Amino acid sequence: MEIKIENAVKNYEGNEVLNIPDLEIENGLIYAIIGLNGSGKTTLLKSLAGIERLSEGKIEYKKNLSYEKCKLDISYMSQKPYLFNGAVKKNILIGLKYRKLSKPEIENRFEKYRYYFDIEYLLDKNAKKLSVGECAKTAILRTAVLEGSLILLDEATASMDIESTINAEKLIKDMKKEETTIILVTHDLYQARRMADYVIFMDHGKIIEKGTAKEVFSNPQHTLVKNMLAI
Amino acid sequence: MNLITTFFTEYNDIVPVVLMSLFISIMSTAIASILGLISGMWVALHDFKLKRGLIRVTDTLMSLPPVLMGLLVYLLLSRKGPLGDFQLLFTPAAMIIAQCLLVLPIIFGLSVSSISKSGLEVKGTCISLGAGKVDTFITVIKESRNQILSVITAGFGRAISEVGAVMMVGGNIKGYTRVMTTYIALETGKGNFNQAIVIGFILLFVSFLINSILHFFQGRDA
Repeated sequence: MEIKIENAVKNYEGNEVLNIPDLEIENGLIYAIIGLNGSGKTTLLKSLAGIERLSEGKIEYKKNLSYEKCKLDISYMSQKPYLFNGAVKKNILIGLKYRKLSKPEIENRFEKYRYYFDIEYLLDKNAKKLSVGECAKTAILRTAVLEGSLILLDEATASMDIESTINAEKLIKDMKKEETTIILVTHDLYQARRMADYVIFMDHGKIIEKGTAKEVFSNPQHTLVKNMLAI
Repeated sequence: MNLITTFFTEYNDIVPVVLMSLFISIMSTAIASILGLISGMWVALHDFKLKRGLIRVTDTLMSLPPVLMGLLVYLLLSRKGPLGDFQLLFTPAAMIIAQCLLVLPIIFGLSVSSISKSGLEVKGTCISLGAGKVDTFITVIKESRNQILSVITAGFGRAISEVGAVMMVGGNIKGYTRVMTTYIALETGKGNFNQAIVIGFILLFVSFLINSILHFFQGRDA
């Protein structure tokens, strides 16, 4: 899904937490957003997901469509995913039920994605009793089954073990299609290097550097980015 | 069995009082819950300019003295009052109105504070999963049911233990508007402490019963 952000500003109680004059996101690419805590990454993702409203500016999806017309094509995984009271399987499929998909279609989607993680033993367990890592696996599957054309992942693998992170990265790569754009927020620079086609560095709500992963990682321009990559 | 028969023979006027108490409290809590929970959930899930002011006013109303509420409802329903034509003063309806107005700020205020944090999280998750407004509302209710049950119990506790307002607008008429709390006040005044203590224990038992039902539902979700 193509996205165009124009003069996006978000204020919280008088503080400006996001200020992006202009950003275009292309189809079929994986974007990694990197930045220190409080740099506006999550606010940007939530604004794209329709959870936060911009104080100023606008976001256009698919060239000139509003959020309302594209919301069923957007799927978002929060950095602290909320799982509903009930079985893990029910949680994974709930977005499909909101979309009023037929039962066979829902089961097909489930079969397509269930084997990315070893979660057989979890499916009937109450989601409220999962560990943080199990929550993350459930939440990324819940996001994946929606097969949105804009997939927003906020630190999706931060609480996963190594094996699950590898599986999650495989899942993310498999979700990438011609018409699908994936934006992932991560603090893992190696992951960004492995996964992303395009990298955006943010600081204090602003984009301080952007470019292809190869360009940015091999030849960073901004001092903060240079310092971060030097670590 | 014999003990129960003896009890009801000796305290035969207690049963209608208990039933009237339950009727008034359940009705007023039900009406206040419907109004308070719907408006409270809406306020909890939305941001608007006057939200803080509204919460401050609600906090003040939560501690409103029942006798003041009784006085206001009395003036409202008295023959020369704006609603005097309905002739509701000294009827169970007047007691329900007074208790409803006392319980409403409690249910509204507690639902705003208890649903605000978790409700916003649930709402955000529903939006991110493509849920419509109705699905989101239903999901927020389902996910907040424990908090909702606690809020309703707090409201019911206020309603069933209230004495000042129902005494003023109900008149404590035997067999008509007499409830447990006004009965205790009356019997204590007359020096009939046995009667007052018995009805006091029944009042406690009803509270225990309501809390047990709540814990049963909360435990089932855990």
